[in-house]
Amino acid sequence: MVRSAAVAAAAAISVFGLAACSTDAGTSGGNGEPVEITYLHRLPDGEGMTPVSEIVDRWNEENPDIQVNATKFDGAASDMILKLETDLKAGNGPCLAQLGYAEVPQMYVKGLVEDVADEAAKYSDDFSAGAYSLMTVGDAVVGLPQDTGPLVYFYNATEFEKLGLAVPETIEQLASEAATSAAAGKYIAAFTPDEAQYWLSAQAAAAGDEWFTTSGDEWKVDTEGEGSQAVAALWQGLVDNKQVVVTERWGEGFPAAINDGSLIGHVGAAWEAGFLLDSLDGTPAEGQWRVAQLPDFGAGQMTGPDGGSGVAVMKGCEHPAEAMEFNAWFNTQIDDLASQGLVVAANGTAETSEKMLRQFGGQDVLAELAAASANLNPDFVYAPGFSSLSKMNETASGVADGSATVADIFATAQTTAVATLEDLGLPVSK
Amino acid sequence: MFSWPPPAPFHEDERSMTMTTPVAARPAAPDPTPSAARRHGGRNRREAVTGWLFMLPFAILFVVVFLIPILVSIQSSLFAQQPSGDGLYGGGELVDTFVGFDNFALAIGSAAFWTGMGRVVLYAAIQIPVMIIAALFLALLLDSFIVRRPGFFRLAFFLPFAIPGIIAAMMWLYLYTPEVSPFMDYLPEGTDLMAPGTVLLSMANMTTWTYTGYNMLIFLAALQAIPRDLYEAARIDGASGWQIATRIKVPLVRGAALLAVLLSIIGTIQLFNEPVIMESANPWMGKDYTPMMLTYNSLLGAVSPSGTGIASAYSLLMAVLAGALAIVYALLQRRKGDVA
Repeated sequence: MVRSAAVAAAAAISVFGLAACSTDAGTSGGNGEPVEITYLHRLPDGEGMTPVSEIVDRWNEENPDIQVNATKFDGAASDMILKLETDLKAGNGPCLAQLGYAEVPQMYVKGLVEDVADEAAKYSDDFSAGAYSLMTVGDAVVGLPQDTGPLVYFYNATEFEKLGLAVPETIEQLASEAATSAAAGKYIAAFTPDEAQYWLSAQAAAAGDEWFTTSGDEWKVDTEGEGSQAVAALWQGLVDNKQVVVTERWGEGFPAAINDGSLIGHVGAAWEAGFLLDSLDGTPAEGQWRVAQLPDFGAGQMTGPDGGSGVAVMKGCEHPAEAMEFNAWFNTQIDDLASQGLVVAANGTAETSEKMLRQFGGQDVLAELAAASANLNPDFVYAPGFSSLSKMNETASGVADGSATVADIFATAQTTAVATLEDLGLPVSK
Repeated sequence: MFSWPPPAPFHEDERSMTMTTPVAARPAAPDPTPSAARRHGGRNRREAVTGWLFMLPFAILFVVVFLIPILVSIQSSLFAQQPSGDGLYGGGELVDTFVGFDNFALAIGSAAFWTGMGRVVLYAAIQIPVMIIAALFLALLLDSFIVRRPGFFRLAFFLPFAIPGIIAAMMWLYLYTPEVSPFMDYLPEGTDLMAPGTVLLSMANMTTWTYTGYNMLIFLAALQAIPRDLYEAARIDGASGWQIATRIKVPLVRGAALLAVLLSIIGTIQLFNEPVIMESANPWMGKDYTPMMLTYNSLLGAVSPSGTGIASAYSLLMAVLAGALAIVYALLQRRKGDVA
């Protein structure tokens, strides 16, 4: 009994490693035969959106020689990576797959993506330079960007006017306006510990920092540079003086603060525009909010990447050139992609949807977000193993009760990033 | 909560009952003499073949879902995925490198692993006794004649177990969240059921809610296997209901209690659903709150060191520790039994 139960424990765990085996027809090719490209994505395909299958059908009709078969992955991004890894090792992975920008270097280190630099170069002019650089790994380019998550500033224009607040253009102004509004019982920003990893690294990027650079043949990690320090000082001051709402972004506290009108501003990712204000529909606050560029964090009109993803060519893809041809076409279908709630990485502005016009009082939201996308810090790249920096969120949750400082979060990022690179067996200077 | 090993509680009960019950009756088969065995050699062989055929479905499943995964897991624990080159991004490929027991050294030296282990052991020390006593109490209640409709209550108590663990965990998360909870308003101001000091207890409550009914069934099955004439004899000797319960019933379900506790220890070491759901709302818990979370997230690369090698090493270490705890508990019980 004892032994078999212990054995069962081991078996139950190791099954994880064996899960996710699927069969998949190999790509056919050659003379006269159409080339088949498989594409795994995790776009929402929600109601009122142009479904991926519809976009792909259009391509298939126009391109009888390159037939694309798109599959939606239902599940978390990290699970999709695991599936890709298992499938690719078993030799039946897709040809194209959606990858978060921070996952790209890790996938490259694991040997799961192809270097398609030559193909990608043909299409690079069609995309935002900052986003394109996030699909770049050293000299290799593994695919094309799809959408971006530049930080922007959301605010309730009506409340701002009522309180005589200016839309902050610098972080100094953000701090002073926060003080003014807090005195009136309103908050123009929220500190969200559960988003620390991407949210704070994006702010450091907006302040002009680069966390991962190279010196010689080694990684140089600096998550506590001048920009990070400025970001830490800003939020520490706001938290200490109780001039911001401190709440989990994805908990119940955040929407509650939006709904009761105490939270009237938010430093957030561009993709939040798609749903941030949904709960205000039909309330008096509907149509009062606007979106603006992120305040100047010390590096001029620059912002940082908070999320976003691209479509990469997977290792073993038999027709990378054709795959990239579709990739470039698909990711420039800006209106269709915008309907999926994406801030498209391709150049050009999609039409702002009916819903956004209503929620943002007629503002051309997507034009504003496209401007933010163009302002992305082009030098900020992720190092392999960035996903382990979720440790930052752990530290960040101590900020609310004062058991940790905002600077501690950046210190956590430093030690975790260096340790992870070492664990991965990659050269890192200390 | 945990991926329970598929238990066979009732068989186990019968066996433990035969050990502890004096009235165990096993038909005594006459030993075949050597010459008789020779005479029936052909038939025996045929029977053996038939027996193996009956075994086959079990054997195949056992090999496929038990032995092979274990062997794969042992094998992968001896390898590490290392970059093929020494560039900034390695060589753009990982190679499986034989590293001997390096992964185990990393796992054993991992502070996160032992901190997590400490948490689940503390959790087990509180949760298991509470749950087992509650389950025993409910089973005694249903086995007595106080309850009118034992069938209904048996189902009602067991029902939480039928709710998938992840769903149950999400439901409790909502109940614990002040903004949406129906009862948090009535608790003293400032009560936080998901703070560092309380979250273990909150999760223990979730587990207890789910598994008390399950363990109750184990006890109930054992109780109903006790011959009724024992109670009659006790009554004639003047025993009260309370005495029958504490002097006859409880001692006679000791085997079942051992089983229930062993299963709970193993399940608790694998504590996963509850902390994963709680962590989604309370990031301070981290991706390595319990050893099982650590294992899973090192497989996903959310904690470092990552990869199948180290994840397998963690799994095997957990299995060994769960086994060791279970053996220690079983031995302690046996010694207590000898003394008594």
